[in-house]
Amino acid sequence: MSTEGRAAVEPLLGFADTLPAAAPNASAPAPTLHLLTFTLDREEYGIPVTQVREVIRVNSITRVPQVPAHVRGVANLRGRILAVVEIRTRLGLTEGVVTPSSRIVVVEVRGRVLGLLVDRVSQVTKVPVDSVVPPPEEVVTAETDFLTGVARWDSRLIMLLELDKVLLLNG
Amino acid sequence: MTLEENPFGDLLQDYIVECLPLAEEVGHAFVELERRWRDGEPGDELLASVKGRLHTIKGNSAMMGLAPMRDVAHALEDACGFLGRAAARRGDEAAALLVSGGGLLVDLIGDASPETDGTAAKAFVEEVRRFLAAAPESSSAERDRRQTDRRGQPRIGEGDGAGNVVRVDFRRLDAMLELLGEGLIQHSGLTELYRRLQRRVGACPEMEELDQTVLSLQKTLTRLESTLMETRLLPVSTVFGRFPRLVRDVAHAEGKKVRLEVTGGETTLDKAVLDRLGEPLLHLLSNAVAHGLERPEDRAKAGKPPEGVLRLQAGAVSGRVAIRVSDDGRGLDADAIRARAESLGMDVRTADTAQLHNLVFVPGLSTAERVTTLSGRGMGLDVAASVIHGLGGTIDVESLPGRGTAFTLSLPVTLAIVRSLIVEVDRERYAVPLSHVAETVRAEPEAIRQINNQGVTQWRGDLIHVADGGAVLGTGGLSGAPRSYYVVMTAGARRRGLLVDRLIGHQDIVVKGLDPALGRPPVVSGTTILGDGRVACILDVVRILEGAGHVN
Repeated sequence: MSTEGRAAVEPLLGFADTLPAAAPNASAPAPTLHLLTFTLDREEYGIPVTQVREVIRVNSITRVPQVPAHVRGVANLRGRILAVVEIRTRLGLTEGVVTPSSRIVVVEVRGRVLGLLVDRVSQVTKVPVDSVVPPPEEVVTAETDFLTGVARWDSRLIMLLELDKVLLLNG
Repeated sequence: MTLEENPFGDLLQDYIVECLPLAEEVGHAFVELERRWRDGEPGDELLASVKGRLHTIKGNSAMMGLAPMRDVAHALEDACGFLGRAAARRGDEAAALLVSGGGLLVDLIGDASPETDGTAAKAFVEEVRRFLAAAPESSSAERDRRQTDRRGQPRIGEGDGAGNVVRVDFRRLDAMLELLGEGLIQHSGLTELYRRLQRRVGACPEMEELDQTVLSLQKTLTRLESTLMETRLLPVSTVFGRFPRLVRDVAHAEGKKVRLEVTGGETTLDKAVLDRLGEPLLHLLSNAVAHGLERPEDRAKAGKPPEGVLRLQAGAVSGRVAIRVSDDGRGLDADAIRARAESLGMDVRTADTAQLHNLVFVPGLSTAERVTTLSGRGMGLDVAASVIHGLGGTIDVESLPGRGTAFTLSLPVTLAIVRSLIVEVDRERYAVPLSHVAETVRAEPEAIRQINNQGVTQWRGDLIHVADGGAVLGTGGLSGAPRSYYVVMTAGARRRGLLVDRLIGHQDIVVKGLDPALGRPPVVSGTTILGDGRVACILDVVRILEGAGHVN
């Protein structure tokens, strides 16, 4: 693994558990990241598939008065109340409109189960760790430090998200 | 180590369930003994009464292999036996030893696990040994008498009907409640379906039969609910049990003389409510000792008996439980509160005394920080109040200078299932707990007047404020049409109308919590799932009436 590659991998805290255990061995097959990707507007984002519990259709999301701006509301997940995060506003996009292709990605981060409202779920995919480069410095600010890298692979750009930070779970 | 990981988990749980109340009774008796000895009373029957309990604890602890608890119980048993004979040694030193041992025993049993640390127990046993060694007497004849004493002690829990009692893990009751909740949701779904079917099919014998079946299902579920609710109820004395020692400890640390009078311990509450009630009550009590009651010399100057009286009273009041913590101390200092509020930049020029008193619940204004550092206990009066509010309760304070302070809590008996009015505002549905609903009224536009941009109407001869539901809930009148009804909501002495678009009906709702990701929205206390599977927010009436929400 090149030093450049290592520099890109190190910030990927949330992705570390998707790396094969034998990663440092140079003769082993190239390590990959196992991602679930989804789109918001026209951009594609990826999160570690290990953090995804399921993907559900959007039935109804109940608004809750006076909650943080990035909370879309609550939904009924088989009798359990699921908080649904409006990930778009967290990423600086306008509030989304629910369409037939909208989905709620149910994730489990640090023992907590939350829903992410996304425009469309693309696929579960593996990308080589080597294809990940750090995000351009100009786009990363204190507010957007949840962007841990960009995977350039198969003529696509997949932005890798650190869910802890997107969901403000460490604050 | 948590109980789940422990192969002896169930046994250990049984042990705690059986021994903790015994240990608490023992601790309680020791605190009472200390008071009686000071008053020069012998307290023989109290000494005798604890020995049977200690013996049971010792036996159970030994059976579980819990050496620290066994040794402490044994040492206390010895000390009590000795003090039963050596009346001359009764006094503050002996009482302090017993109280500290009783407290240790409660702590050890409450956190019992096979890894329980035995250091404190060893130190205590050593202390008892030294205390007994300082005594001149201990003959075999007396030891024999002690043995006879032990017999004839009735074991607790062997009363009438004990054979019909089964111990159940509370989590099973929670699971049953979840299932009942699902049953209730399914029932309202079924009712909804029935209505739609009736519109399509019209009247026929089968529809009538379906109607009857749905109705009797409702009756069955209601009976199941009340039975299940009853099994979840526990007397408040289970929480009050640890307070005598706490009050004594704080009083010692503060150099105060305090008598705690507890009444209404048999009043019952849902265990889920009780579990969260301990901390706020503990805070109110320690606050009363530390700040409410004066030192004996100051009391004497004020012409009061040197011993302060702290009352903890519980009772059922119109479907809710009232708990009152009152002292006969110096009362709240309204001027000091005013000064503190002004230093925090609050405008209190027009506040009356009662309003100033209620500022003690405002963060930064309570004097609780001092209690915390002083006694290592307590959570802040503002935090205590927010826990009570979180339970759907209210807390009020009354105070008279020089006469004392009283905090009155009003709590729902249960949190789990709440009969509610379902309303619709701007196409979202909300549940309003019926205990807070006084009336629903059709909103005639001409009956609601605007005063200073606030809706006001006559209700039962009084002028009340009528707020727009969309404004309070932040949906701001999407439809633009005037609202059809207002709901008169009450909490304590406060009341207010809330304008809504539609009244959907009454429903028993199963309360579900708020995800921490939602923060702490001020106007919502929880969520529930309605018959159609949609989620609805439960309005926090207490906080809405306190002015939370977008009131314009």
